[in-house]
Amino acid sequence: MNLFNTLAAAACLWAGAALADPPPGYPFVGFDAGLAAAKSSGKPIFLYFGRYGCAWCDHTNKKTFSDAALKKLYTENYELVYVDAESGKRLTLPSGERITEAELGARLQAFATPLFVYLTPAGDKIMQIPGFKTVQDFRDYDRYVRGGHYKQKTLLEFLGGKS
Amino acid sequence: MRAAALLFALLASQAQAGWEWDDALTVNSVQGAAIFPHLESANRQGVAVSGGSVGVVWEDNRDGRPQCYLATKPADAEAFRAETRLSESDCYEPVLVPLEAGRFVAAWEEGGRVRARVLPGGTALQLSKQEAAQVTLAAAGDAVYAAWAEQAGRFHRIVVARLAVKDGTLAVESAQPVEAGNPSDEQGWPALAVAGDGGVTVAWEDRRHRHTVPMVSHSRDGRRFSAPARLSDRKSGSVDGLGAGTGAMRPTLAAWGETGVAAVWLDKRDFLSGYDVYAAFDTGTRRFGRNLQVQDSFGDNMAQWHAKVVGDGGGRMLAVWDDARDGTPDVWLSEWEGEAFGDDVAVPAATGPGAQSDPLATLDDAGFLHVVWLDRDDAAGTRIRYARAVRR
Repeated sequence: MNLFNTLAAAACLWAGAALADPPPGYPFVGFDAGLAAAKSSGKPIFLYFGRYGCAWCDHTNKKTFSDAALKKLYTENYELVYVDAESGKRLTLPSGERITEAELGARLQAFATPLFVYLTPAGDKIMQIPGFKTVQDFRDYDRYVRGGHYKQKTLLEFLGGKS
Repeated sequence: MRAAALLFALLASQAQAGWEWDDALTVNSVQGAAIFPHLESANRQGVAVSGGSVGVVWEDNRDGRPQCYLATKPADAEAFRAETRLSESDCYEPVLVPLEAGRFVAAWEEGGRVRARVLPGGTALQLSKQEAAQVTLAAAGDAVYAAWAEQAGRFHRIVVARLAVKDGTLAVESAQPVEAGNPSDEQGWPALAVAGDGGVTVAWEDRRHRHTVPMVSHSRDGRRFSAPARLSDRKSGSVDGLGAGTGAMRPTLAAWGETGVAAVWLDKRDFLSGYDVYAAFDTGTRRFGRNLQVQDSFGDNMAQWHAKVVGDGGGRMLAVWDDARDGTPDVWLSEWEGEAFGDDVAVPAATGPGAQSDPLATLDDAGFLHVVWLDRDDAAGTRIRYARAVRR
């Protein structure tokens, strides 16, 4: 590898490290593809609402989503969707309405990134969770969502009971 | 208790004292639960006034696919005329600027290119040679400029064009990127303003610093642009090695006063309370000064959305946006009072139960403020609403 390629590769690695894109190695897809996949697979959707350059997203990626067991749990059991909070990329809501990824933030009244949204396979919102969360938090949310507890209890009630 | 009620009534009446509003009108003639009108566009440039005639452009899916529409209300009319369709295939983010005597120029994205057309009449002209989106327009006298985000290598870059209007047809006089060479990261959502001295200012979202930063550039002749500068006075940089900086998006510009330009955008420097509305001013020096928060402290802990600045040659300037401080989205405005922005004032017809959002606005030569917004109703369908106000 010549010097130029070495520098280019280093720049790409640096950029990848500094950005707050989806965590590496996870099969995140766009909103429309994720919704279509969920309708087909019947899996719930885990929507990561991140922002380019977001420090807390970066922190969550490094501290939490680097956990191999969590990666396996979410990759196997969810359709993973990444949405960029400031992007003009278009997506189509389950209602048929076409909006931009940034507009989804307005509809969710998102006030911080990262924001994690759990959706049914049909695209109905189950809950949304803002900010940095630990591996254990995401394990708890998984039990709440895939166990169907959201149909009977609030998340706080569920976590209080730790069923 | 009575004293508190009297005080509240007094404060409320003072807050409304500045503006006298006409009854609101509905702009779109076709609504339905599965029809979704959108007012989003670069510089939120979807309403214009020409010769007293009000024009509004938007996109909706009534025909099964997104199409762009124009509705006008002649100066002596009490309602908007039925809208006309501007596009033939999938269309997004239309904008509108006034010419003289009830004529307008509209621009929009269609089929992956950006197009423009003189209205009424006229034929659509393709502005971009490459794949492009997020077109905006600015006009001052005979000068009409367009800007858009055009594919250049891996990313989009900002292109500015000067348009010639002759006998109801458009032509591109000149078109050039703000910066030569391909961009190192994504650029988009340009805003344009033509100042009183004829200078052209363009602002846009720029990701070269690995987060979204509103950038700005100026040109005396609309052809050669200065090196981009940051509109935001926040520096880029990671925190403890994390991230690259706070977010900011959707810059808007307006010519203001004799030679000034005002900028307003959404800014997440206070990252725990969502986007706030921030402003900066170029008083004619072609440098934007320090950033100011627009919304008052009652909106501090609430995310603001869809901000837009409007100004006029007489020095009036205000910002509109929506936020849900009262429980549901309402449209708010704040006017520049010389030293700071004044108290936030709700647009009366765009407040209360339900969701009123996505404001557009313009100030006309006669001193009227024109505001357009979405009034969302999941069952009955979304109405595009319009109201006019005058300073008392």
